[in-house]
This record gives sequence, structure tokens and C-alpha cells, in this order.
Amino acid sequence: MKMKNMIDIFIVEDNKILSQTLKADIETTFAQKDVRIHLFESGGECIERFSKEKPPIVILDYHLDSKKAGAMDGIKVLDKLKKENSDVDVIMLTSEDNIAIAIKSFHHGASDYIVKSETQYKKINNSLFHLIKMREAKREAKRYKRLAVSFFLCISLIVVSIVVMQVFAPFLLR
Amino acid sequence: MENEIRADGTICDLNYLSEMLGARKPLIKGIMDTFLEQIPVELSSMNEAIATTDYQSVKRYAHSMKSSVSILGITLLSPVLSEMESLGLAGTNMERIKELNVTLHWVCKEAMAELEAVKGDYI
Repeated sequence: MKMKNMIDIFIVEDNKILSQTLKADIETTFAQKDVRIHLFESGGECIERFSKEKPPIVILDYHLDSKKAGAMDGIKVLDKLKKENSDVDVIMLTSEDNIAIAIKSFHHGASDYIVKSETQYKKINNSLFHLIKMREAKREAKRYKRLAVSFFLCISLIVVSIVVMQVFAPFLLR
Repeated sequence: MENEIRADGTICDLNYLSEMLGARKPLIKGIMDTFLEQIPVELSSMNEAIATTDYQSVKRYAHSMKSSVSILGITLLSPVLSEMESLGLAGTNMERIKELNVTLHWVCKEAMAELEAVKGDYI
């Protein structure tokens, strides 16, 4: 059962040691938040579950072919995820510090691009922190918008009622 | 190579994981267990790639193993895997790749023995 405000994060990484370490690090860093991590070794497995669970955030390896040559690469997975839900935030993870890959990732809709290095965990956590904050802010903004609309509707109703009474039953207001 | 082994004689450096995960020892043990399962498979895949002179696969597996070994602080293997990856990318010098593979196997075997010896401390 999905609890309110629980944040599901998918990690698509074919190196289990890396994905497990990343999961452990995120869970440790975001221990105060309701974060639930799901691990996938291939793009295909992720896409299958994605349409059912619709997680707001996906951390996606660019290559995904360390175990199986010719496996669906990160860009193809990114395209399918965005097609399924254009609102999903995807953090692209790659070991190549290559501007062309970065541009390609952003062009296909990635929210961030992180190079695998000693500082990758800190960078991923920073990126997650900002994405989660932005989503919380959007949710709050929607809530305030609904409140504002409800408030003005109430005021409008009151004003209209007074005008109607003035016109058709002025004796009520004396 | 012996000069690159850590001052305390160990090959693995678990400080990085300990700093990252703090007192959450079961998580560290979980990562060690995954390493102990995954590395033999990766070594076997590398052997197959070398036996079939598949430079692309040598590059792919070397690339993947770089991430795996760095998490356990096995810095001894960084230059070995980097060279294997470069030679795999260049599609050249399989003899040198075979030499490096011997080193890779030796260090991984020692690292796994170390982890087996200490993982009981992380329950």
C-alpha cells in the first residue's frame, strides 16, 4: 500500500554492487523522509513496473550493457519513461565525462546528469534533495491554489447572494 | 605491486563504506555479500572474453568492474582495469590483457578472502 507522501525512486543499474550501495546511501541520507527504492538491472524490467507504479524519480545508468551486449541503453529507456510520464524526473548516471552524452541526455529530457566518480553519491543526493524539494513545493503551490480558488468562490457566492436578496427580497436585508 | 598494498597489509579499504553508511553494518555486509557473489561471475565473463578474443567485452567488463572494486576501496585494481579497458577499446595487445587478467584474478581472490574474514564483524 502506498502511503501518502511516500517517494518511490527507481534505480536502473546493471552493476548490483553499485546499485545496492546507492540504495543504502540514499536510504541513509533520506532516513527522515518516506523514501522507497526499487532496483532494476535492465531497462526492460524498469519499464514494465514503471507504468504500474509511476515513480516521480528514476536514477538511470547510461550504458546498461555490462552484462548483456546490445541491452537497451539509457537513452532508449529515458525516451520510453518520458513517453509514459513526461513529468518523471530522470537522473542520468554515466562513467564517461562526455559533454556530448550530457547534452544528449538533457535533450531527451533528463533532469540531471552525473558522472560516476568518488563524489557521485554526494552529487546524487544533492540532486535528489533538490528534486524532492521542488516536488514538495509544487504540491504545496497546488494546495494553496485550490484554497485560494475555494476562498474566492465562497466570497463570490456571498456577494451574489446579497445582490440577489437586494433585488428580489430587499425586506430581508432591512 | 606489493608497494601498492595498504600499510596495514590489506587490499580492501572499508572506510569509505563505513563513512557513507555509518553504523548501519547490515547494509555494509549486504554490499560485501553482493561483491562476493558478483565478482566471480565478472571474472568468469572476463576469462571468456579473453578466450574468444572479444575486445569489446573485455572493455565492457573492465569498465563495470572499475565501479565494483572502487566501492570496496580496492585501489590496487584501478590502473589494472583502466589499462584493460583502454586495450579493449583499442582492440589490441591481447597478450598484455592476459597478463593484467592474472593480476586481476590474484587481487580479487585476496580481496574476497579478506572480506570473508571480516564480514562477521558487520552483522
